[in-house]
Amino acid sequence: MYSRNITMNYLQNIKHKADRANVSRLRFWIQLFTFLLIVYGGYFFIHIGSQVPTFACPYNQGSPGTCYLIAMQHGLHLTWSELVSYRGLAFFTGFLTFIGFFIVFNKAWCGFICPLGTLQDWITKLRYKIGIRFSRYDSASFQKLKKIKYVILVLLIAIPLGMSNSFFGLAPINHDMQSPFCQVCPGRTILPLASADTSQIFIDFTNKTTLVMSTLGILITALFFVGAFAKKRFFCFFCPMSALQFLFSRIGILRLTKNGSNCTRCGNCNRVCDVGIIGIAEDITSKYIVKDDCMMCFKCVEACPEDNCLDVRVFNAKIFSSTQEGFFKRYIQPNELSLKNEKNDER
Amino acid sequence: MKYFVGIDIGSTAIKIAVLNDDKNICALGQSPTGSRFNQNTSDTLDRLFAENQLDSSLISYTVTTGYGRKLFKTGDENINELTANVEGAIFMAPAGSNIRTIINIGGQDTKIIQLDQHNQMTNFIMNDKCAAGTGRFLDIAARNLEVDVDELKELHFKALDKPLSINSTCAVFAESEIISLLAAGHNTSEIACGIHYSIAKRIARLATRIQLNDDILFDGGPALNSGMVDAIENELMRKVIVQPHPQFTTAIGASVYARKQYDFESKSVIQN
Amino acid sequence: MKKMMKDNQQTDRFQRVVKAASIHYDMEIGKTMAAITDDFPDNPAAMKYFYEKHRNLIRNDSNGKLPSKKTIATLCIHVPVELILAVGAIPVRSCAGAFTTEQLGAEFLPAKSCPMVKSTLGAISYNLLHGKVQPDLIINPATCDQKKKLGEINEEISEKFYLLEMPSTKDSEESREYWLQTVFKLIRKLESVTGNKLTAKSLKRAIQEVAHAQRLYRKFNHIRTSAPVILGKDALLVTNAFFFDDLESWSFHLNLLNEELENRMKTGFRVVNERAPRILLTGSPSVFPNMKMPLLVEELGGFIVSEEFCSSSRMLWDTVAVDEWHLYDMIPALADRYLKPSTCPNFSPNTDRIRKLLSAIEEYKIDGVVCQTFTGCQLYDMETRIIAKAMEQAGIQTLFVETDYSPEDIGQLTTRVEAFLHSLKHNRKKQLI
Repeated sequence: MYSRNITMNYLQNIKHKADRANVSRLRFWIQLFTFLLIVYGGYFFIHIGSQVPTFACPYNQGSPGTCYLIAMQHGLHLTWSELVSYRGLAFFTGFLTFIGFFIVFNKAWCGFICPLGTLQDWITKLRYKIGIRFSRYDSASFQKLKKIKYVILVLLIAIPLGMSNSFFGLAPINHDMQSPFCQVCPGRTILPLASADTSQIFIDFTNKTTLVMSTLGILITALFFVGAFAKKRFFCFFCPMSALQFLFSRIGILRLTKNGSNCTRCGNCNRVCDVGIIGIAEDITSKYIVKDDCMMCFKCVEACPEDNCLDVRVFNAKIFSSTQEGFFKRYIQPNELSLKNEKNDER
Repeated sequence: MKYFVGIDIGSTAIKIAVLNDDKNICALGQSPTGSRFNQNTSDTLDRLFAENQLDSSLISYTVTTGYGRKLFKTGDENINELTANVEGAIFMAPAGSNIRTIINIGGQDTKIIQLDQHNQMTNFIMNDKCAAGTGRFLDIAARNLEVDVDELKELHFKALDKPLSINSTCAVFAESEIISLLAAGHNTSEIACGIHYSIAKRIARLATRIQLNDDILFDGGPALNSGMVDAIENELMRKVIVQPHPQFTTAIGASVYARKQYDFESKSVIQN
Repeated sequence: MKKMMKDNQQTDRFQRVVKAASIHYDMEIGKTMAAITDDFPDNPAAMKYFYEKHRNLIRNDSNGKLPSKKTIATLCIHVPVELILAVGAIPVRSCAGAFTTEQLGAEFLPAKSCPMVKSTLGAISYNLLHGKVQPDLIINPATCDQKKKLGEINEEISEKFYLLEMPSTKDSEESREYWLQTVFKLIRKLESVTGNKLTAKSLKRAIQEVAHAQRLYRKFNHIRTSAPVILGKDALLVTNAFFFDDLESWSFHLNLLNEELENRMKTGFRVVNERAPRILLTGSPSVFPNMKMPLLVEELGGFIVSEEFCSSSRMLWDTVAVDEWHLYDMIPALADRYLKPSTCPNFSPNTDRIRKLLSAIEEYKIDGVVCQTFTGCQLYDMETRIIAKAMEQAGIQTLFVETDYSPEDIGQLTTRVEAFLHSLKHNRKKQLI
């Protein structure tokens, strides 16, 4: 009993220190590390499998694994009869592996690990340094645009199936449409550039389909850079990986929860949210607060000035909570103040 | 034998109740307050003890209440009249009743007190900004009708439930209204009945801001006026309980409280 | 000739009124301060600074500010103080709490008006604001109707008034957009009045300084709600001083007070006994010198743990969170902070107020709530019904009082507060058994 108290006190002390941590700074370093891992890891013979829940693009020679979306598109290139046979089993096993990887970090794959996300964050930092303002969507546009990623996800699933099977009595879809999402994904064109590989940037004049798809790919790549410059995490709003992940987010091990009765609806969380989620500020009833666009970067938890309003949990145990002291420690920069006789706040 | 004295120094009258250690009420008495609170209270107390042949040296504890409670110099403790009223109401409650609301019409104010199942006050509403709806209004009415306050109840029942409506919201202006009604030939019983209903309506309005739960007790001097009781029951559409000596309920409550404060074991007062 | 004589009379009358009112105001302050300091033992030593600041409210230019800086009076906590600081001006919140100036203001306003509005107008019209400042601009938010019309009433001073447009709700996106535009307009007005441009550097500095003060206030709040080391009447003086005190000086002295209170906590010092009921005040704000209700509650044995007043926690609680320290992000962040978390009944719906009260009651272990409404305040009065229902559902005893600035109703209020505190003590005893 006595030793249990000591352990509890020790854990509580650790938690207090954790609550004051600057998670954004930690995240920067984790993002850098994972970017290097995912873009160059293959050169060091690192293998992380083919069900990775983030853009570990196989078109990039240095990739240590394979982004699940390409595996999914290949895996769905089955006829209905094949789907219910052992080949279909392979698909479902792969799918379950993906879910297994995903639920460990939940949507934090987006915020901490995804290389496309990291790239966008670096572009944002550049814009900030220059001092150019960012744009936000108003709520009407937000509601309309957020549906696009689900449409892309459906197409990503339907088109491969449509290539092996016939929908509504129409002819199967042209094979040139294989891996349709990869043909337009900015990951395919951009990530190889990190190894000075420009081979993915091309327009394929073979036939009409390839022409359209490859042009679309180039346009989306350009849009990626321009969009990310103008709006924080522009691409994430349309990302089908995000849509796929959200379907299983509720069972994730890493969780973001909210205690609505402590919420003053000050909106700080929404203000700092890169994706611009308003639900985090306005919803005061739900406990599991991760919305589909959320990338679990936890900037909201850092910006919340109330004790125990937003919490990051592993299963049900809190590992990082919003606290008053944590907020002030992160936001106040003492060298900005002209105050004399200021005591050091490290207690 | 020990005596516990409760003194209610109200705006119109001083009321005194004497309780003994066997919880029997030994004496009840009142006199007009006048302007010299301290002197008048002492005099009334002495007179009360003399008339009832009680030995004033056996007074163990005195508690005062009412607006003038802090002005009686020789009192031991003072409590506010809401608490005292609750004590008195519970003490005098008829067997089998479960008092949850107390309506008190005093000389200058009206109160509605809400109690819970443990006889604790949970909420209260007071009207102490205006004389309309208080005992003062009845005094004014009686004076204008040239009757004693005690005669108002007989007049009420003579009116055969045909009360006149008194429109003035202010007791002072109601005076002129009463006079003009008399001049117009209306009889005193209709007017008396109307005044009772006017007061009862005011109580009903006050009661909209608080929940009235049965059983309802009506106390204070005007509760002696059965016409007033009738009007209240009709306006609230509920039955009310009236205890004996309703004008003394608060003073009795103060004496009950005095007795509770006295610890028989140590023969001294419980430190609060 | 006649007009000149009339003007002289006006000036003569004006001077006399100001002189008489100053004397009365000072006496009123003296009386209140005497009750605050003398009726209670164990006043913290660090409170001396705040006592003096309030005692000298009307005596001199208590700020000691440089004459080169402009003074901007504000009439509501919805005015972003950081903006005023960032353009190099001095903000003075000028909501008045004096009965003396209420009687002056009654000359211009209907009898049933809110006493605070009357008092403020009286103070402005007769140069009796805090520190006797003569503001260069008076920012008047269009919150409640009575405040809104203030600028129109007295022609002689109305050109100094600047109406700050406010939305009637804070939930819709349009209202946030409207408020943001209002803030932009305010910036342009402030820049033109002071002649200084708003820069990212000056605004960042202002936001940081206010955040520092807020951090100290939150610490203060944590101390007083965890241990009974300071009475509510003193805490209210601390927040009331924020209206007009220099920010740096206020922060410094609050820090000293916090240290002293922490020492009190270590020694287990109590400023009230264990049975004192823990009270939460809410409703129309108690502004010095109108300390009627807080003093009454504590003189009769209650312990005010916290207040949900705009002259107290609501003024200092909510923070500004900025993502990018440039004007394009700082200004919307500032605007949001002054709109979204507000629990002023001027906004509809105001469910955040109920949630805040319930959260405070649970966290600070409140025994009872005292809800004060000024006579004539329609917004707070209407909300009392809503509050009553919510408190009843939560099982919290609440006392509703309607009062104004005059000292006449002390007797009636005493009866009510006494009965309320008594019933709280009894209920607590019952729960312990």
